[in-house]
Amino acid sequence: MLSGILSERGKNMLKIKSRKIKAGIMLFIVPALLIYVVFQIIPIIGAVFFSLVDWNGIAGSDMTFVGLKNYIDAFHDPDVILSLKNMAKMVIVSVLFHTPIALLMAVAINSKCRGYRVFKALFFVPTVFPLTAVGLMWYFIFMPTGAFNALLQTVGLDNLVTSWLVNESTAMNTIVFVNVWAGVGYYMVILLAGLTTIPEDLYEAAAIDGASAVQRFFNITIPNLKPIISMCVMMDIIGSVKVFDLVFAMTQGGPNGLTNLPTTLMYNEAFKYSHYGLGSAIGILIMVICTVATFASNFVSAKVGKED
Amino acid sequence: MKKKMTPGRGLMYVLLLVAAIIFAAPMLFTVVSSLKTKVEIFSEPFSLPDVIQWGNYVEAWTGANMSVYFLNSIIQAGATVIVLAITSSMAAYVLSRFDFKCNKFLMLFFTLGMMVPMHTVLVPVSYMISALGLKNNIPALIMIYTAFNLPFSIIVVTSFMKGVNKSLEEAALLDGASYFQIYKNVMLPMTVPAISTISIFNFLNAWNNILFPLLFINDKELKPIALGLLNFNGERGSDYGPLMAAIVITVAVPLILYLLFQEKVEGGLAAGAVKE
Repeated sequence: MLSGILSERGKNMLKIKSRKIKAGIMLFIVPALLIYVVFQIIPIIGAVFFSLVDWNGIAGSDMTFVGLKNYIDAFHDPDVILSLKNMAKMVIVSVLFHTPIALLMAVAINSKCRGYRVFKALFFVPTVFPLTAVGLMWYFIFMPTGAFNALLQTVGLDNLVTSWLVNESTAMNTIVFVNVWAGVGYYMVILLAGLTTIPEDLYEAAAIDGASAVQRFFNITIPNLKPIISMCVMMDIIGSVKVFDLVFAMTQGGPNGLTNLPTTLMYNEAFKYSHYGLGSAIGILIMVICTVATFASNFVSAKVGKED
Repeated sequence: MKKKMTPGRGLMYVLLLVAAIIFAAPMLFTVVSSLKTKVEIFSEPFSLPDVIQWGNYVEAWTGANMSVYFLNSIIQAGATVIVLAITSSMAAYVLSRFDFKCNKFLMLFFTLGMMVPMHTVLVPVSYMISALGLKNNIPALIMIYTAFNLPFSIIVVTSFMKGVNKSLEEAALLDGASYFQIYKNVMLPMTVPAISTISIFNFLNAWNNILFPLLFINDKELKPIALGLLNFNGERGSDYGPLMAAIVITVAVPLILYLLFQEKVEGGLAAGAVKE
């Protein structure tokens, strides 16, 4: 190896001695750093700033510092509370359905059953589509004269026919269903990758011992997939908190703001009603929820990892 | 591989088929409806069209401006992919190869960006855009896409570069090649697998995004396709046939990308997730 000739330290990395060369090399990172700082870091600092002022959204007009007022207002605003409840519903239902269904799909597909490639592609493909297109597709199916009601009538369930996205008791549930439909394939592919890492001989040994398929699933598959399952759940929580496009395409937060999530509410408050302070405060709130979920996920997966 | 048909396997097939119907039906319905007349869509929602209405696609493509939106998205997503491939591979070269004081800090700094939801920065970005007079400015949109996809791209490319054998670059260095030449002629070609992975994801992310264009692209000639589709629905919400055709046009590119690079898309997803 030539590496011994070069002064090598750290983890197989080159240590640069000359200052001039060092400066030259640092230029490589400048474009990425510049774009990242200007278009992501500065806006985040800006977001904190805007959440602490009262401003009407017109550049150049007065901004008054109001401290935490926007946050206090947010927690007293029934719309915000409702959006948080909707978010909780979205998160809980997604977690309950995404990973378990995805796991069953992954196990079935991993058995290399007939047509498994087609099944896999079919379940996964909605996750690469724009969610606006997915939302609109389901919007046409769930509209009052849409295909779903027609289907219900055809099979004689006329009493279930309703305006799914207008009816206040079904609108949010309908969107939550579409979110489950659109996301399940994502977790399936991740779990499928996890399944391939489980050694085949574990299953063979269990089969020789007379373990049934169900026993093998609970005693081999699930324990071995624990870290990946917990990661899927945490990714799902964060993903469900960030849902925006689906609501925006299907109901725009209606009827009467009942299907707003924090994401769509912040958009509406800031850009429809010019409540920039309140909108920013909700935006920060979304980031806090996601960050807490991420740290919780690291904590949980570290714990799960230790147990094994 | 032949396997015995047991009751358990039978049940598995039944469940798979039920799931397949739930997944295929809405997509199939949209495609079939895109070839029907408005009357047919409602009077016989589950039948095939009497006469195939290619006109719906013509109407969506030209009449509803979808061709312009389509081209805009190709340009915007394509440019994003190129900018990200260059900036992230250059940064990754430094982060994966050189030991300096703030190397670890920079990596962490970039990684933190993955936790920032786009929604959080909407107000400041919109302020920045209007203060700098960047409304309808496509380069600004591409820079924002780049910023939000940089963390993922840098992480993937850096971890790939760390695994690339160093002997070639060391030989080049001894031959007197500059670091830029090494990056360009040695590192880049060897990192093609990682760059193509991030490029597919970056393209899809840019193609599917509506949040940022919603903020400051209101010129109909500049809107990307996902937003243009919503626009079409907002303006002519009862032109069902052409609308269904527009949905099909919007999902066609991600669909083709997925079918062409199935392994890459799935592998990239799983690698990104399993590594964390």
